[in-house]
Amino acid sequence: MYKAVIGLEFHCEMKSHTKVFSNAINGFSKLSNQLVAPLDMGFPGTLPVVNKTCVKKAIEMAMILNCKIPEYMEFDRKNYFYPDLPKGYQLTQFFNPVGVDGKVVIEVNGKEKEVLIHDIHLEEDSASLDHYYDTSNIDYNRSGVPLLELVTEPCLNSADEAIEFLEYIKRIYEYTDISDCDTKKGQIRADVNVSIMDNDSKELGTKVEVKNVNSFDSIRKTIEYEIERQSKLKSEGRYDEVVQETRRFDDETGTTIHMRSKADAIDYKYFTDPNIPKYKITNELLEEIKKNIPMLAHERKNKYISEYNLSEYDAKVLVKNKKVSDYFEECVRLGADAKSACNWITTKVLAEVNKSDEITIDDVFIRPSMIAELIKLIADKKITNNQGKEVFTKMLEEHLTPVEIVKKYNMEILEDDNLVNSLVDEVLSENEKAIEDYKNGRTNMLDYLVGQVMKKSRGKANPVDAKNKLLEKIK
Amino acid sequence: MIGKSILELHDELKNGKVTSNELVNESLKACHEIQDKTNSFVTIIDDAKGSEVTDDLLSGIPYGIKDIFSTKDILSTGSSNTLNNYVPFFDATCVANLKKHGAVGVAKTVLDELGMGGTGTTGHTGIVHNPWNLERQTAGSSAGSAASVACGVYPYALGSDTGDSIRKPAAYCGIVGYKPTYGMISRFGMFQFASSLDTVGVLTRNVEDAAIAVDGMKGLDENDMTTWDSSSINLFKSLNKDVKGKKLFYIENVCDINNYSNPSEELKEHLNNFKETIKRCEELGISVSKVNIDSKLLNALYSTYVVISCAEATSNMANLTGISFGPGGEGKSPDEMIKDHRTKGFSPLIKRRFVIGSYVLQRENQEKFFLNAKRVRRLIVNKMNELFKEYDAMIAPVGTGPAKYIDDNKNVHDKETRVLEELLQIGNFGGYPSITIPNGFVNNLPVGVNITGKVKDDVSVLNIAYALESTMNYKNQLAREEN
Amino acid sequence: MSNFTEEMIDNYADKLLIGLTEEERKMIQTEFDDIEKDMELINDIPNIKDVEVLSYPFEMEVSELRSDDNEGKEIPIDELLRNASRVEGREVEVPKVVG
Repeated sequence: MYKAVIGLEFHCEMKSHTKVFSNAINGFSKLSNQLVAPLDMGFPGTLPVVNKTCVKKAIEMAMILNCKIPEYMEFDRKNYFYPDLPKGYQLTQFFNPVGVDGKVVIEVNGKEKEVLIHDIHLEEDSASLDHYYDTSNIDYNRSGVPLLELVTEPCLNSADEAIEFLEYIKRIYEYTDISDCDTKKGQIRADVNVSIMDNDSKELGTKVEVKNVNSFDSIRKTIEYEIERQSKLKSEGRYDEVVQETRRFDDETGTTIHMRSKADAIDYKYFTDPNIPKYKITNELLEEIKKNIPMLAHERKNKYISEYNLSEYDAKVLVKNKKVSDYFEECVRLGADAKSACNWITTKVLAEVNKSDEITIDDVFIRPSMIAELIKLIADKKITNNQGKEVFTKMLEEHLTPVEIVKKYNMEILEDDNLVNSLVDEVLSENEKAIEDYKNGRTNMLDYLVGQVMKKSRGKANPVDAKNKLLEKIK
Repeated sequence: MIGKSILELHDELKNGKVTSNELVNESLKACHEIQDKTNSFVTIIDDAKGSEVTDDLLSGIPYGIKDIFSTKDILSTGSSNTLNNYVPFFDATCVANLKKHGAVGVAKTVLDELGMGGTGTTGHTGIVHNPWNLERQTAGSSAGSAASVACGVYPYALGSDTGDSIRKPAAYCGIVGYKPTYGMISRFGMFQFASSLDTVGVLTRNVEDAAIAVDGMKGLDENDMTTWDSSSINLFKSLNKDVKGKKLFYIENVCDINNYSNPSEELKEHLNNFKETIKRCEELGISVSKVNIDSKLLNALYSTYVVISCAEATSNMANLTGISFGPGGEGKSPDEMIKDHRTKGFSPLIKRRFVIGSYVLQRENQEKFFLNAKRVRRLIVNKMNELFKEYDAMIAPVGTGPAKYIDDNKNVHDKETRVLEELLQIGNFGGYPSITIPNGFVNNLPVGVNITGKVKDDVSVLNIAYALESTMNYKNQLAREEN
Repeated sequence: MSNFTEEMIDNYADKLLIGLTEEERKMIQTEFDDIEKDMELINDIPNIKDVEVLSYPFEMEVSELRSDDNEGKEIPIDELLRNASRVEGREVEVPKVVG
């Protein structure tokens, strides 16, 4: 076994109304070339104009990652030719990124892990290409969409650590509303650097870069495959076959494939873009941004444990996804007991969400207001817990509110003592054998008898009440 | 009538002596008349129509547009085969601003391909000839604009200036060329050559017209982050001849004939004439001092310019791939297609400059060439700013004499004069306001003098030029073919 | 002897996606030798390394950036694509991009 050393470059499309250097809309369109300003196609004479929201969000992220933030915002040109790059260069931050030398602490398999951030920078996305038999078509809608690129130091040692870190970062993006990190819309891409070394060695091994891996699952597979590939070569004494190169991940085979060697590395001829004057990052701006950083996942988690007495496990489940956490908080805001809300969400609601990859908690018919209503019905003893579960199922099926379901199926608990008493009597008279068995020690017969009462009441009797009455009369 | 100044034409229009349509038609006719001789135009906009005449000085009056500016629905080529069919769907900001003032564009003028050149000989539609002598260059890159304004086909034409591309051709054609402070006029829609040096400006036949035209174009632009707010400045209204007590300097190293070991007759006459101009300044109550600048800095001027401008250009023009605009190339892959387009489209001069630009930006060369050039740029700018603390402006002869021959074999090549030849690049290094006005004749050809001043102090620069202009007989002069 | 070989020059040009004729290559080679001599004039300046680079004509700072609220008008597709050499539907077409 060798020690693996992994570094990540994680690109994520930012949310904003307009693009980072032009005033075309940053969004998704079914129509190609609908969200395009002249700059996004590189028309002669067009100039970049920096979007303030993107800059503020980039600074916010740099702050959250505990990065050093420079005095000025500046942009540089990365020069290369590619059909998806209309200006012939990408505007990025090479010399003076918005954040450098950051650090975060994450938890991996119960242990703390410190992850060092080399830098985070704001840049623009390229156009997208659709490939056909012998042609490719260019759609400039994506050209100029803001991207944040986060670069870690080579400080991760396993696929678990890498994925846990990316999940952590993804949660921050979601909680701050900086990005949706939607894999299906191609909003994330990572370049993964992997090398291996002897456990006791201090010398880094040969670094292999795998470019443009676009899902967490593929990133995990990439790392695992590369560690295995390199380790095998090393243990066979063929480590010289591990060369500095750029590879790509192949989805179908789950392997990586050579793209180009280091000798073919492009010289991007970076230089500061003279079209974009420096923008001073003032203390006032920093204060304003800091003040508006929302509560992040780990902070919410701590709050849930300390204020709502939720278990660490439940709190973690709730904050894993911001939409779920928001859903939970909305239930609480509407007066639901936090623990009950947590139970309903972590068991029943998330079970619904997990039925399909295509939906989020926002797509489930049952809204926080309905959960709050349901919890209230049970708390007020209008329905039993078991009825509650039935109501939940029916709500999903029939798209009705809890109150509507209860009403429709006439489910309210029987509060008429006489009626319950007479039902209990009826059951006792019909089940002499069972009573005998119970008295002889088959205590589970009591549950059977309660069940019979519930059946006769069509579920509307309070089972605790029925049980007490049965016990009294059997004695 | 079209050979008159903006102020005169405005009066004629207001008094009903002529209509805007008549003026436009006269201008179009005049454009056609000089085209055979001078080859000033890529496009003459024959369907241009007059506009409403208002109190705005620019309203109803025709003007020319260097073909480096994007014009909506009108061919805009940059005088390059890489753009020889490009019809933009938007106007450059300066053109849009002039439109708002009621100005009427009537022609797109030839330039050195994409602004990269100083001869007026490299445009894709051929050489521009100097209207004073057709064997001579106009200089460039604003060649067609200079030639056509000198011919009097309209009172002004737009130019762009990266090294001296407005101010040198103005001198060779005997007219006024004004490059305002960097960022006073938006560069949006001007095809970029070297973004940190490129400046929009104007060619006219008198200083007043230059002020009026720039007033009509300048201002903050949401499409160009390098523009600044000049709304408190009205150049035309600020014109007065009150220059008494102003202080000028000239650089003795390059302006004194005694510093040249084997000067040509033309250079002698030119610098002699410059001396006469200095005397005129002094008669106006302006003090003129000589200063010396470290010759190491001066000698590095040209290399600094080449490195910075070529580096920026090679990146700026990487958009010329022929994919979404331009005629496009042939090939089995996108790279082949782009390469074919660029190989066929660019002239040898441009290719050379691109290769230089790329070379100085290479990772292993960047420190030595590109960054050092940007450092020298700072030293030069620092030196100038230091001088501008003491002086209002610099006065300098433009180039080393009158227009050069189109046939380069007839030109004298003297390495010693190169600093003087390239001196006006200082104006671009520091973004300074800089204006050339005609100050005489050498060999029956016009020569010019230049005033360069402090950043954002365009008013002082224009006033000095305005006062000086009034002491000489070259205001509003039209080109006369001498032989 | 020139510091610049033909291969070097071809390589630079090739990276810029420009082809050179034999004549152009020769021209560049001669010019490069001159230019390198010129460049030395820059490097001759004492203590040049200690000077901060100047990327703009003067110290420009912007105090305000573009507001994200205002989007531009949608550009009609026929205007957007009318200058493209090859168009397919609403997209610009190029030979197949491989790799």
